[in-house]
Amino acid sequence: MSEHTGWPIAGTGAVAAIGRSPDEIFDSLCAGTSGLHPMRGFERAYYTGDRLYEIDDRGGAGDVPGRATGFLLAAIAQALGEAGLDERLGDIPVLVGTGLRELRSVELWARGDAPYSAGRLHFGTALRERFGATMTHTLSNACSASLYALSMGTDLLAAGAETVVVAGVDAVTESMVGIADRLQSVAPDTVRPFDRNRMGTILGEGASALVLRRTDDPDRPALGRVRGVAVNCDAHHTTAPDAGSIAAAIREAHRRAGATPQDIGLVMLHGTGTHANDDAEARAIRAVFGAAPEKTLMTAMKSMTGHTSGASGLHSLIVALRAMADGLVPPTLGLDEPIEEAEEFRIVREAAVPADLALAQVNAFGFGGVNAVALVAGRR
Amino acid sequence: MSAVATGVGLAVPGAPSATDLTTRSAEGAAPFDPAARIGKKGLRYLDQATRLALCAGRDALNAAGLLTGDARLTATGGGAPVVDAELLVPAESVAVVVSSNFGNLDSVCEVATTIGSDGGTRLLSPVYAPRLSSNVTASEVAIRFGLRGPNLMMCNGPTSGLDAVHWAMVLLSGDRARHVLVVGAEPANDIVGRLTGHEYPFDGAAALVLESPGTAGERGAPVLAGLGGYVRTGGLADCVSALGGAPRAWFAPHQASAEVLPGVLRHRLEDRWGPASGALGVLQCAAAAGHFADGGEGPVHAVAGTDADDAVAGLVLTSPDGATPRDGVTVPDAAVTGDEVSRA
Repeated sequence: MSEHTGWPIAGTGAVAAIGRSPDEIFDSLCAGTSGLHPMRGFERAYYTGDRLYEIDDRGGAGDVPGRATGFLLAAIAQALGEAGLDERLGDIPVLVGTGLRELRSVELWARGDAPYSAGRLHFGTALRERFGATMTHTLSNACSASLYALSMGTDLLAAGAETVVVAGVDAVTESMVGIADRLQSVAPDTVRPFDRNRMGTILGEGASALVLRRTDDPDRPALGRVRGVAVNCDAHHTTAPDAGSIAAAIREAHRRAGATPQDIGLVMLHGTGTHANDDAEARAIRAVFGAAPEKTLMTAMKSMTGHTSGASGLHSLIVALRAMADGLVPPTLGLDEPIEEAEEFRIVREAAVPADLALAQVNAFGFGGVNAVALVAGRR
Repeated sequence: MSAVATGVGLAVPGAPSATDLTTRSAEGAAPFDPAARIGKKGLRYLDQATRLALCAGRDALNAAGLLTGDARLTATGGGAPVVDAELLVPAESVAVVVSSNFGNLDSVCEVATTIGSDGGTRLLSPVYAPRLSSNVTASEVAIRFGLRGPNLMMCNGPTSGLDAVHWAMVLLSGDRARHVLVVGAEPANDIVGRLTGHEYPFDGAAALVLESPGTAGERGAPVLAGLGGYVRTGGLADCVSALGGAPRAWFAPHQASAEVLPGVLRHRLEDRWGPASGALGVLQCAAAAGHFADGGEGPVHAVAGTDADDAVAGLVLTSPDGATPRDGVTVPDAAVTGDEVSRA
């Protein structure tokens, strides 16, 4: 089966600040519910920007190690359940994309707050314990990590694997929050993707997972299909994105899927709310779709989940599947005055809008200029 | 899935050449000096693993004939510094896969402890900002040499170096790249020592350029070794059994009992160079290339990870003479049919 037909998606799983399952997350997004909240795991007095999109799971007793691992296991268990797969994975590949690994646990260890071992810095140890999985791979590819994992997963299917689990995960680290706080003269009040008055991004956390199959199961209709994934690298600057390189990744994803911009009903924007990202992303989309794409709706879910970093690409993909299945596109919050480059984009604002959608594009771009773009078809 | 290695680069204290990896040791060797090798300019704000990776990566690209020039940064009249190097193939055709488990741990811990002890972020140095993302090494390697293909940072525990080689082969077989620079790098510092309990961990990097035999042939590039037959299993015995065949030598993890592969020449690189974590698998492949350069016979097995870890990975390396796929002599079936997914 080629990428043009698409790899069947058999199961999905997700956790984020606004929900503990794909259903809950999608419903929260459509209702315009934001997960932004005064920070729970860190000392608020230390920071100018003292709000985050955290998952509220600590029980109010200070921070604990191993939270990212917990999010990941929950998302994968959901995806396996929906796919009807046994939880004993054995040699089924599990590819985990992450920006920050278990670095929060390392921070707690370094400050003497909790013991930790090097063997739990990558997720293979927990995946072996919980699922008996041995073909596990943790890749740390910043904010495009889970779509990078998706591209690697589709390559394994093309090489003959029958089933692949791909996932993304991140828990907020205090070092990342701290350095952002240090560098920002004014802390952002919220995440405002593509807004003229956007002030930067705010971290979120969570996990996302897919079960991909090589062939269709006649008894279980696929939830959608991965039609093509492109990955590249700017090789330009660690933090300043390159619109030309992003546009190249978008074109490559279209080529792999055999699709044109007119075929794409929905773009799940990376939309972090930083000046540099939103500007480069808008220019790249204009270069491929034109200044005023008529047939394509767009939305940026980080306005409600925060930047879920390594988990974000698959978070967006799972929301795209639900949007196509339900015919409903969730809005982008905090977008009052679009930037000039995106002025004529049909970005859904204020409230969810009904739409008949067949094909979605998912964008994810990361620190270091690592770009990934996926095309996913809905259930038809 | 299979590939050939066409370049090796080392940033290893005490081992100027790949043939040294199985004969010398780090004991008494001076620390590797990245500034002496690739110039001081541009290194100041990079972490140690990234500095080491740049040196090893540059040498591998030079050796493979993909890059000319020493890739030092030179200042221009007020403008951005220029990299003294020329890439001889399209930038999009070269992927980067880096393996490191501990590369940015010291930076993360430094920032977190400073926040805690000062009660705020006032004392944080902005130079730490790029180092807090674990993929900083892979992206800095891409930036220095202008490599615009897929860019992967594997942080996969003790097997990570061999896993990185596996993903390089996947990128080649999936036509996502024609050439892949694979680097394994780990720093020695106080944080790594405390977390692992190792007094003298590996402080270095090893790099390989991998290509398909066809691409290497077209370019007339030197073939140093063939690679294939990757497996990742739940334990050492399973791994050795899945690798199969009759190796002439093997690179063993440090805890392998003498009952595993008895009578086969055994190299324990970590006894010579220190516990190497995510760099080990790449270092083993470089050492195998050295073994073949010295006239050693293949196949050679590389094994990383122990029964105490989440998994054990293995790889089959063949001598340059036997590296041509489908000759049916030295390359195991799995290496040429791409079925390692179902075997692993």
